[in-house]
This record gives sequence, structure tokens and C-alpha cells, in this order.
Amino acid sequence: MPGILIVEDNRELREMLKESLTRKRFTVQEADNGKDAIIHFKPGVTDLVVTDLIMPEEDGLKVIMTLREIKPSIKVIAISGGGKAGPASYLNMAKALGADAIYYKPFSVNEMIGKIEELLEIEQP
Amino acid sequence: MKQEKYKTDIQSSLEFLSREKLYADHIFNNSRSMISVIDRDYVYVKVNTTFCKALRGMADSIIGKSLSDVWGEETFSKSIKHNIDRCFDGATVKYEASFTTPQAGKRFFEVIFRPFPSDSGKVTHLLAETFDITDLKLTEKIAIEKEEEFKKFETNLPIGFMRCRPDGRIIHGNKAFLLIMDCRSENSLYSANFRDYYAEKGIFDMHVEQLADSKLKSFGRVPLKTCKGKDIVCRISGFMTLDEAGNPSYIDFAFEDSSRELMLENRLLEAQKLETIGSLAGGIAHDFNNILATISGYSELLIEDLPGHSPLSEKVSKIQTAVNKARSLTNQILTFSRQVEQEKVPVSVYEVLRETIGFVKSAAPPSIKIRSNYRDKQKFVFADPTQLFRVFLNLLTNAIQALEDKQGTITVTLAIEEGKKVRGDLNKVIVADEYVLVTLRDTGKGMDQSLLRRIFEPFFTTREVGKGSGLGLSVVHGIVSEMDGSVLVSSEKGKGSVFYIYLPVYSEKARKPALHGRKKKLLFVTGNRHESKILSLGLESAGFEMTQSSEIKHFNKILAETQTRPDIVIYMSDADQIRIDDLVSSFQKYGISPPCIIICDSNQDNPGEKLVNSGIISQQLVKPVSLKEIETAIQLSIKR
Repeated sequence: MPGILIVEDNRELREMLKESLTRKRFTVQEADNGKDAIIHFKPGVTDLVVTDLIMPEEDGLKVIMTLREIKPSIKVIAISGGGKAGPASYLNMAKALGADAIYYKPFSVNEMIGKIEELLEIEQP
Repeated sequence: MKQEKYKTDIQSSLEFLSREKLYADHIFNNSRSMISVIDRDYVYVKVNTTFCKALRGMADSIIGKSLSDVWGEETFSKSIKHNIDRCFDGATVKYEASFTTPQAGKRFFEVIFRPFPSDSGKVTHLLAETFDITDLKLTEKIAIEKEEEFKKFETNLPIGFMRCRPDGRIIHGNKAFLLIMDCRSENSLYSANFRDYYAEKGIFDMHVEQLADSKLKSFGRVPLKTCKGKDIVCRISGFMTLDEAGNPSYIDFAFEDSSRELMLENRLLEAQKLETIGSLAGGIAHDFNNILATISGYSELLIEDLPGHSPLSEKVSKIQTAVNKARSLTNQILTFSRQVEQEKVPVSVYEVLRETIGFVKSAAPPSIKIRSNYRDKQKFVFADPTQLFRVFLNLLTNAIQALEDKQGTITVTLAIEEGKKVRGDLNKVIVADEYVLVTLRDTGKGMDQSLLRRIFEPFFTTREVGKGSGLGLSVVHGIVSEMDGSVLVSSEKGKGSVFYIYLPVYSEKARKPALHGRKKKLLFVTGNRHESKILSLGLESAGFEMTQSSEIKHFNKILAETQTRPDIVIYMSDADQIRIDDLVSSFQKYGISPPCIIICDSNQDNPGEKLVNSGIISQQLVKPVSLKEIETAIQLSIKR
């Protein structure tokens, strides 16, 4: 099954996402900040990254930029609970950096899984 | 012997006389005045040296000449003769005149004619004495000029100036003082006592006491009351002048009206406060959304875990409804702290305002009158129409709630203000040449200053707990600020409130071109056409072709025609004339299945969840929805 990297500093949310995705038989890896996500990134294993945007160490925008550099084919889903860096919002910037989908927290995890399946071209049973 | 003595007497008398004559001549000739003796034929019979010097002549050449010979016939007959005649009648004549002398040119003189009687008492001559008063005149002229200059300066000085007695009785006030104090004329001041203009009279006594050492004192900002009773704040400084005995004579005060300065300072303070609360609340909302995402996600997992018809499903569904409500709350907080993305398009304020008023009118009691006056219908602003709708909706809802007994009038005006004027009024950097100014005036209960200062703070509410979130006006503030606009309020307790919303006019007339190829046809199924019209405005700008329907016959007619058949349907949950079942059966009837997006009211239990799961509805959104969210939902629906 495809590998998904979850980058999220909120532990409960990260665990919830992990459980939801594991159930769908995805191989899930986690990181609780942007820096760790970049250091431990395995291009051979990870096909899609779900990343929060405002995080300690490196933020989600840096994660998107670095991971795309290492593996241009990687799919990106950005999630955020709101927050702005200057006049543009983080989610807008993530979109500009080429995130394939963006979600405002709280979001429907089923909807997100649908999107993941669509992006990874997985036929629904 | 006797002859000897006589001779000596005569000699000493002669000596005496000659000495007296010497003295007299000496005094006569050394006087700084021009002195002459004139006879009844207007002829000089004697002149002194000063006179000769002034005329640059010898005494012999002047004596025997008439005044008309010396001064010219015209000057003599016009300004000298009648004065001389009066003097020969017995009067001492004194007058000022200017004439030209060969020695000094044109000078000013004071002339005195005194009758000069003979031994018999008959006036045969007169004594003319002429002083040069040119320097005096010049000094006087300069003094008058200086005084006028000072008066002009004092009158036009932008600083108020006022002089009063130590007990406060006003002696004089300049124009600026009259203006500051709202007084009609200076005359009305003379009966006034400055002590009465102090908001607290004791402070005046304190000021007078402090001025007693006759040194200039600044008293900072002092609260005063104008002639019309208005409260103002002035920067005052004063100086007391003492009389020769060292007693207080009068006090000079200078005034600068700092009411506006104070108002701007307060406004800045308010803005900073809101900014601080905003970032604080925004941070909390952000963390809160993380928690909500976890709750929402686990409840979705829980539903999956429950067997098909478990009675627990309903309870989990209630958790999700609660999450949606909480989401709506955090969304409002984030809007206030300007951390919500706004999909801005050029939008007509007039259209949004008209629709919002229509929306509110349909729900407001008929005893409340809502009047509107649109002085412009053409101007666009750059905004998310749904957010602009929230601004007007929140303000109108507030206005209705301010009307006690559900009676009164709300007046809404739309006008255009020049940027320069806006800069002056708001004292802030302007971003456009023109601004749309929307004014909302209610005749409600009004607010006092302490309330007014806090109304834009989030969670600040005057309503009872549970009625209203206290976020309405803070959301308004957030949205308007995000548009580079401003919202101001003025209010008077018992009379009502006025809200002023300034929005920069969007200058590029060019609208967004339609998206790729043919415009997608979008059908709004709605119970309230006003609200969906707002969304339509934004979606039209984004390149969709919009139709609305709120009635089943009309709805079926649209579906029947291939020309009008929609590519996407947006179903608002308040559409009471068209139910979801009608929607499904109509689709089946015409053999179509367009993507369908449902927008639910956050206050209701969600009917949408099951429909989404059943596949009838492709996307579900919960109010308040932003244009951005709808667009994303449309994109996702089309892809599917």
C-alpha cells in the first residue's frame, strides 16, 4: 500500500489521522515538526504527505518545498486551523507552492481519505 | 552828586535791560521750536534762528514778508489764515500740520498761535510757535501698526487666547477661543465667568493659585464645557500679571482643543487593544481547531465502528453537530483576528447592501422601518461578498436589537467619499482615491462612552448570557479591516447609534473573465433568495452563470429545458418549498444527476450528513460559508 507521512505537532490529531489512515491500510509515518519530517523523509516509502502548516522548528511550507525538491512526484495535502503570515494566509501559500488539496480544521477525515485515494489513483472497493 | 547818582541808576537800568535782552534773545534763538511774531497783515515781524535755519534764510530776508510769500498762497489760505484769524479774535489756537521746509523736507509740526497783546491790551500781533513732531508721529504710527498687527495675529491665531480677572470674569477672548468654546460672539463673553467653563470648578481655583507666582504654567489637558454644554478637553497654559502693588491684575490663558487628539489617541489605543485580543483569540481558535479536528475525526471513526443500525449513531451525529457549531464559533473568532482567508472579487456594495436589507426586512417585525438611500449604485469594492453580507447583516441585526419595543427606524445610506476627506476624518493612510461610506443609523437605545469603547471586543455583549455570542461586531471589525476599510461608531444614550463603514473603492473596472470555455450553469435552490443572491454575486465574478429557484414549478421548468439545465446545483437547507425528495424525483424525471452541494444552517441538526453518505449530495457545507469554500466544493464536485 502507498506510504503516507503525517506531519502534525498536535499529538491527538496526529494519532487520529494515523488510526484513520492505518485502517485504510496505508503505510503511515509520522513527524511532530517540520524539521524531523525533512530529516527522516524516505522518498522510496512516502507517496503522499499530509502536513500541518504552523509548527515549531520548520513550518509546513518548508516541508512542502523541501519534499517536492527531493521527490517531485510527491502528493501534498495541507491542513490548517487558520493563521496568517503577513497578508497571505498559510493555506493560500501552500496552494501556491503546489499543494494538491487544502483543508481547514476541523475537516471530515472521510472526505480527506476520499481525496487521498483520488490523488493516489486507488480504486475504491 | 544827585546827577551822578541818576546817571548811575540809568546806567545800571540800561545794563539790566541789555542783559535781559541778551537772555531773551538767547532763549528765543536757542529754542528748538520755530518761533515768530506775526502782525495783523499776516507779515512776519520777528523770527528766531531755528525758524531761519528751517527756511534756510537770514532773518532780514524773512522779516517783512507775508506768510503767503513764505508758504505759498494756497497753503496760507487753506490751512493757515483761518487759524491766525481765530487767534486775533483772542483764542490760543493749536493744530497739527505737515509742511515742507527747505532744510528737512516734509515734516509734521504742532503749531500754536498765541495772541500777543500791546500795552493797551489790544491784540496787534500773535506769537507763532511750531514744534517738529515728526519723530513722535512716526513712533505713534509704528505703535498703531504694531498694535493692529498684533490684533490681527491674535485674532487669527489658531490657539485660543483669553484674558480674565483673577476671579474668572472674562475681559477678552480671540476668535479661536470663541470657536473652541462654541460662543457666538465676543460680547456674550463679557458677562461670562471662565470658572463656569471648567467641568470641575475647583480645578480653576487650583490653577489660579498655582499662577500666583507670576510664572508661565502649563496645565496639560483640562476637561471643559463649551457655551453649548459640550464636553471638550483643552491643553491650557496661563500667565498672571500683577499690578504695581504686586496684587493679581489679570490672567492670560492659551487654549488648544485636544479633543480630536484625544479621540485619535483613544482610537489608536482601541485598535491596538483589538489587535492584541485578535492575535490572542486567533491563537486560541487555532489550537481549538486542532482539538475539534481530533473530535470530529474520532467521531467519524466511531460511526464506522458502530454496527449498521446502532442507536449510538445518533449520539455520535450530535457530537458532529456540536463540532460544527464550535467550528462556526472559531471561524468567527478567526474572522475577527483577520486570519480567515477571504476570496475577494470586485463586488457592488449596492447589490450586497440591497440584498442584505431585503433579507433582514423579511424577518424583522413590521413595526421596524428600514429606510435606504443609495447615492451611488456603480462603485465596486474588492471583497468576499459573503463576508460583506455578514458585515451588513450583523450591523442590521444589532440595530434591530437596539430598538426597544420593536419600534423605530433604521436608516441606511450609501455614499462616496473622497480619499483625501477620508484621510482627514480617520487620520489614517488611505489606499484608494475614493471610499464607499455606508452609514447605518438607528433610533434605538444608544450606548454610553464606556460601552462604546468595548463594542468591537470579541465576546463583549450586553445581551443576557446565551443570547448572542458577542462576536457579531468583532467579526464586522475583522472583515472590514481585512478589506483595508474602517468601521466607526458614534452613539448617544437614549437617542440611537450610527455606524460608519468605509471601504476603499476598487479601481480596476475589468471584471474577471469567464473561466475556461463555456460558463458553468449554477442553480441555487433556496428559501431565501437574498442570501443566495449574495453568493451569486461572488460566483458570477468567478465566472459562473447563476440562476435561483425557490419554488418547485419554476425549478422543474429550469430542469425541463436543456438550455437552462444546470451543471451544478447548490441546495440551501432553508428551501422549504423544494424538499430534497423533490430534488431527487425531479432529477429522475428528467434523467439527470448534476453534482449537488448542500449548505446547512449550523443551528439545525444536519440533514446533510446522511445525504452525502447516500451519494445524492456530493458536498456538504455549514454556514457561515465563504465564497472560497463554495468554489472548492464546486471544483471537487465537478471532478467527481
